[in-house]
Amino acid sequence: MIVPIGPIHPALKEPLRLKLQTRGEKVIGAEIDYGYVHRGIERVMEGKTWQKAVYLSERVCGICSYIHTQTFTETFEKIAGEEAPLRAQFLRVIANELDRIQSHLLANSTYFNTIEHETLFMYMLSLREPVMDAIELLTGNRVHMAWNVVGGVRLDAKEVHLKSIMNILDNLESQYARYPQMFEHGPLLGLRSKDVGYMSKEDSIKARAVGPIARASSITEDLRTEKPVYKDHLDFNVIWRGEGDNFARNMNRFDEVTESIKIIKQAIENLPEGKVRKKVNIPAGYADNRNEAPRGEVAYMIETNGNLIKNISIRTPSIMNIDACARYMFKDVATVADAVATYASVDPCIACTERVTIIDEESGKVHEVNGLHNVKSINLK
Amino acid sequence: MLDSLKDVIRKSSIHACLINTGGCNGCDIEIVALLSPRYDLEQYGIYFHNNPREADVILVTGPVAEQWKENLQRIYAKAPNPKIVVAIGACPLSGHVFNQEGSAIYPPLNEFIPVDASVPGCPPRPTEILGALLAVGPDAIAAKGRQKE
Ligand code: SF4
Repeated sequence: MIVPIGPIHPALKEPLRLKLQTRGEKVIGAEIDYGYVHRGIERVMEGKTWQKAVYLSERVCGICSYIHTQTFTETFEKIAGEEAPLRAQFLRVIANELDRIQSHLLANSTYFNTIEHETLFMYMLSLREPVMDAIELLTGNRVHMAWNVVGGVRLDAKEVHLKSIMNILDNLESQYARYPQMFEHGPLLGLRSKDVGYMSKEDSIKARAVGPIARASSITEDLRTEKPVYKDHLDFNVIWRGEGDNFARNMNRFDEVTESIKIIKQAIENLPEGKVRKKVNIPAGYADNRNEAPRGEVAYMIETNGNLIKNISIRTPSIMNIDACARYMFKDVATVADAVATYASVDPCIACTERVTIIDEESGKVHEVNGLHNVKSINLK
Repeated sequence: MLDSLKDVIRKSSIHACLINTGGCNGCDIEIVALLSPRYDLEQYGIYFHNNPREADVILVTGPVAEQWKENLQRIYAKAPNPKIVVAIGACPLSGHVFNQEGSAIYPPLNEFIPVDASVPGCPPRPTEILGALLAVGPDAIAAKGRQKE
């Protein structure tokens, strides 16, 4: 039997249609329909200056809007062969990690909502609000920060604001430890999460899973370790786990929040003096650039003629993760409710997703998922 | 007697359904933030079920992507009367930054379904959304219910 879920469904934040193939209660496969939020952003960006396109890149996705502008502007800096001033790079790190914290808390809250643990759902959301305040203090906005420009950031951070961010983080840190423990040791939560939606390391490589989803399956990649500012100035651990199930994915996000708090504190303490923005002359050229978004790797490929964007391609992490979920995690899920929880544990972000090409490995066929014109469900065995 | 009883019931238990018609989900997460203990939407008797069949208030975000052109009316028809549509964010009003040459969106929303209230902003703050919901929600639903009878 086929159980359709979505596009409007209590458990989904965003529109997407999951078709679960079931035998009895057991889920044996899944099909995914995309295309509900295709807007054509890349097409709109073409022929525009970066000043106009940076707003569009921010609106690729609301949850991780920050990293999109950062990657976008860094790509232009790369074309120009320049780097933002060090202070700006530190400020970018602070904003990026704050964004990661709120995104991970939101993702975990969604997961707890789908397994109907309302207490933790509410705890996560109430932990998230102070972080949103911190983001607002730093950048002036809660969601779309409009903070990055080519050559630095738009505003310098004031000492008072950095202090209050430190306070917020201290508070968060002092309360935080009990929630991962609640999740780790709660017997019912464990039953609902452990050994559900398992994905092995090999499968996650095959599906090209990225971010915390891959790191929960023993992959130890984190692009942050390659970024000069993280590498040279900040000290942090890459969090990874071996279980590869729903529990591991959520715990991975829980633990990354702790690391992010650590990074922000270091960055604020060691914030160098200096300018936050410099003039960058952009020549004609091409560059690609990758960054670690909350959900994994986001890549921008931009070709410019020095003024206008000639070509742009954006690769967001969710598409690989959703694919990994449909292809491997749904294989042995006992009930439909668990399948929905598994889907939520992948932290899918549909708004990002609608532009990517998927290559079906077995048949070698290429599915274009560039929105409506070619919306095809990925057929899975 | 029956009418006033219906009014009271309609005012005190409002079910909301969220439809993202292609937005960037910035608005959606601000609506999720409304559920958090800080804003606590449920203390006003507004519940999120995300099921159009039992929705009194339909919240719409996003600039109406191609797939939603027909689906919107279908979903609107599914919701029982009386119903209220609140457009959240700049997207359903005008298409916002996406409304440029080459995009695949079809704003504004009120060409597809009747819109009772709009909250501009990108995204509007949770307090603004809450204010709009409370301003339009309970009384307008009760009033609409009376009109029908
Ligand atoms: S109004 Fe802004 S935040 Fe809301 S969906 Fe549109 S672009 Fe996103």
